[in-house]
Amino acid sequence: MSDPVRAELLARIGNTGDVAALRGLRDQIQAHMGPLLFERPIEQFYTDLNEVHDALIRRAVALSEEKLARMGEGSPPVPYAYLLFGSGGREEQTLTSDQDSGLVYADPEDPSQLEEVARYFGLFAQTVVMTLQQLGYPPCEGEVVSSNPLWCQSLSQWTGKLDLWFKEPDWERVRYLLIVADCRIVAGQPFVWLALKEHFFMLMLSTDRIAESMLNNTMRHKVLLGVFGQLFKEHYGEDAGSLDLKYGAYIPMVNAIRLLAIQAGIRATATMTRIEDLTRHGVLDEAEGAAYAEVFRLFMRLRLLTTSKLEDGFYTSGGKLSNARLTKELIEELKAGLRIVRKLQKKVRKRATGRI
Amino acid sequence: MVKKLILSLGALSLLFPAMAFADDPSAGTLNMGLNSIWVLVAAVLVILMQGGFILLESGSTRMKNAGHIAGKTIFTLGLCTLVYWAVGYAFAFGTDNAENSISSVVGWGGAFFSPSVAAADGESLPSTVFFIFQLAFAAVSLSIAWGGFAERAKLSAYLVFTVLFTALIYPVISHWIWSSTGWLFTKGAQDYAGSTVVHLTGAIAAFAATVLLKPRIGRFNKDGSANEILGHNQVFGALSVLILWVGWFGFNAGSALSVGDGFFGYVAFNTQLGAAGGAVAALLISWLVNGKADITTTLNGALAGLVAITATCAFVDPWAAVVIGLVAGVLVFFSAKFFEKIKVDDPIFALSVHGAAGVWGTVANGIFATDVLAKKLNVGEGGLIDTGNWHQLWIQVESVLVCGGYTLVASFILLGIMKVVMGLRVTEEQEIIGLDLSEHGTFGYPEQMKKAQQNM
Repeated sequence: MSDPVRAELLARIGNTGDVAALRGLRDQIQAHMGPLLFERPIEQFYTDLNEVHDALIRRAVALSEEKLARMGEGSPPVPYAYLLFGSGGREEQTLTSDQDSGLVYADPEDPSQLEEVARYFGLFAQTVVMTLQQLGYPPCEGEVVSSNPLWCQSLSQWTGKLDLWFKEPDWERVRYLLIVADCRIVAGQPFVWLALKEHFFMLMLSTDRIAESMLNNTMRHKVLLGVFGQLFKEHYGEDAGSLDLKYGAYIPMVNAIRLLAIQAGIRATATMTRIEDLTRHGVLDEAEGAAYAEVFRLFMRLRLLTTSKLEDGFYTSGGKLSNARLTKELIEELKAGLRIVRKLQKKVRKRATGRI
Repeated sequence: MVKKLILSLGALSLLFPAMAFADDPSAGTLNMGLNSIWVLVAAVLVILMQGGFILLESGSTRMKNAGHIAGKTIFTLGLCTLVYWAVGYAFAFGTDNAENSISSVVGWGGAFFSPSVAAADGESLPSTVFFIFQLAFAAVSLSIAWGGFAERAKLSAYLVFTVLFTALIYPVISHWIWSSTGWLFTKGAQDYAGSTVVHLTGAIAAFAATVLLKPRIGRFNKDGSANEILGHNQVFGALSVLILWVGWFGFNAGSALSVGDGFFGYVAFNTQLGAAGGAVAALLISWLVNGKADITTTLNGALAGLVAITATCAFVDPWAAVVIGLVAGVLVFFSAKFFEKIKVDDPIFALSVHGAAGVWGTVANGIFATDVLAKKLNVGEGGLIDTGNWHQLWIQVESVLVCGGYTLVASFILLGIMKVVMGLRVTEEQEIIGLDLSEHGTFGYPEQMKKAQQNM
């Protein structure tokens, strides 16, 4: 179970004060862990990998604090929480995940200080994002990143925003709500984050028909399975013949399980944990829970096999599973899995529209 | 009052004596007149289909070639007319050599066609109208062939091939199947309005061209995977299909060459059913197979339905017209996939729409033709389903193979010689710049393209 090489490198992350050296550590760990994928249980692999990512991000946050102090900006004026959304929030980062992040800080006691505090955290978030870019994490294409002012606000601004999003849930706001649903603290003071999270679930409970609004967004990505039971492959370009595993298998499942979980008031963000909790709450029966977990393990494993490359110093992935990887057995396994996801989607639809 | 009237009528009859003796036209003349009106209208509709081809070819390709594509269609229509007038019509329908056995292969007589100004006694259609109608078909076949040239052929290649195609390729096939002395006609080959004569012939010339020209830059990757080169205007594409669809009523129903008992209405009716089947089947099959309903496939499906019903529209029952259209819609989808797989770059899907569906339409007569209609038209006999006899099906297959074979060999030889002597393809630089600029010196979309160039 224990991996001495990884443990050693992990320990060194905490002591490294230099971004370039930190990047070197990441490269080493990535190179070390890549081949292990085939050797250990997939959940273990993800746990180990996400521990590394968390350590790197935490270190980047700490280094950024130090840097701001050296720049004469002082230390953080109020407690804050550095948040991860997306796969980071769900503890499902791969070797090539990008930055989906946010920042929430406590309200300053004197409201007149808000502007100054906001300025500090704006600068701080920018520094963290820059540092992480140097570590090879590309910024999120959808600009869900802490350096974007929309995602870097005080607690009351955050809760006010959530109130608005829940009250008038148009398409874009629902998308944001579902992003927030996966949020997790990676560095800073947990109480700030917990306040935000509880506010979210309070609104979730008290807002009529919100699940129905969330349904369309949840179902936006279709599974890659045709009416003849065939898989939809990419037709053109360098990925021709490959499968869009990310948006055609993994994301549909993540989305479906998320909606079930937040409807049931489950606080966990990791999809596997959500499935366990849903089973415990009786939303899923034992057999369903086991089947969904099994399928999700398959998707998690295949995700790590998707086309990845080092581009402009960033670890990136197209999320596509190349044709060469698709053996006959794998295709059958995938088809069976996707059929189960389709059943899951039906269940989610029924629950969200209250027809159950 | 009465006096005045009689007086003035008397004066008028002195001035215009014919008025007094004017005869009602004979039934034959009336019949000829009605035929002429319909067939000339049909010919105009078929000529208008060139507008469809302009929109289809330019809409399916990139902005930088749009002006070239539109302009060259008008130019080649003109050149095709002159060549068909000079020799094409003589090879196709000339009867001077009717006594000679060579007339089963190619006709002769009426070069530099100089028709009589009016229909002769007993003629059901003036030869002028017939000429225009046939010319319009030749021009359509030629425009189909251009699909294989799109976005990379030299303007001079268009010029030379127009002459060769209109003189040596198209008239031969049209003679075989449509001339009363043609050898396939006498065998009873059924191709009412030209699934083979017009569409397959054009498509095979396009195939030869696209093979000899090689794919457009960037169409295929080194590893063999294909890239999608999207057309610049899907609305043009849809409008082109509508224009072609409407023009097709001239194409098919006009091929009745008469008004007669109103049979041309039945032909039009089947035409509409075939087109409908093609459009519906194509959208559905792309939706089912790819998970996304593809617009381009839908447009191709409508055209494929029309191409397939072209040979069959006068020979089959309405239900069969629907089936023929539906099958064509499915066929065109898989055919396009097939050509992409074997790395043949077919920018406007001419090979699938006119080739595959043309073959299907011709062969479909051997399956679905009814004996009643074949007897009515006095061409061949009923197909497999109606008669249980394979005879007609075999003739249909034979005519596809022979006509396709001749066109394939002739096109490869002629284009091959052109390739050696003058070259077919523009330079890489010209292709990237676009043919608008390289061949004509000005863009079809000046504002957009200048802006794009500045950004390059």
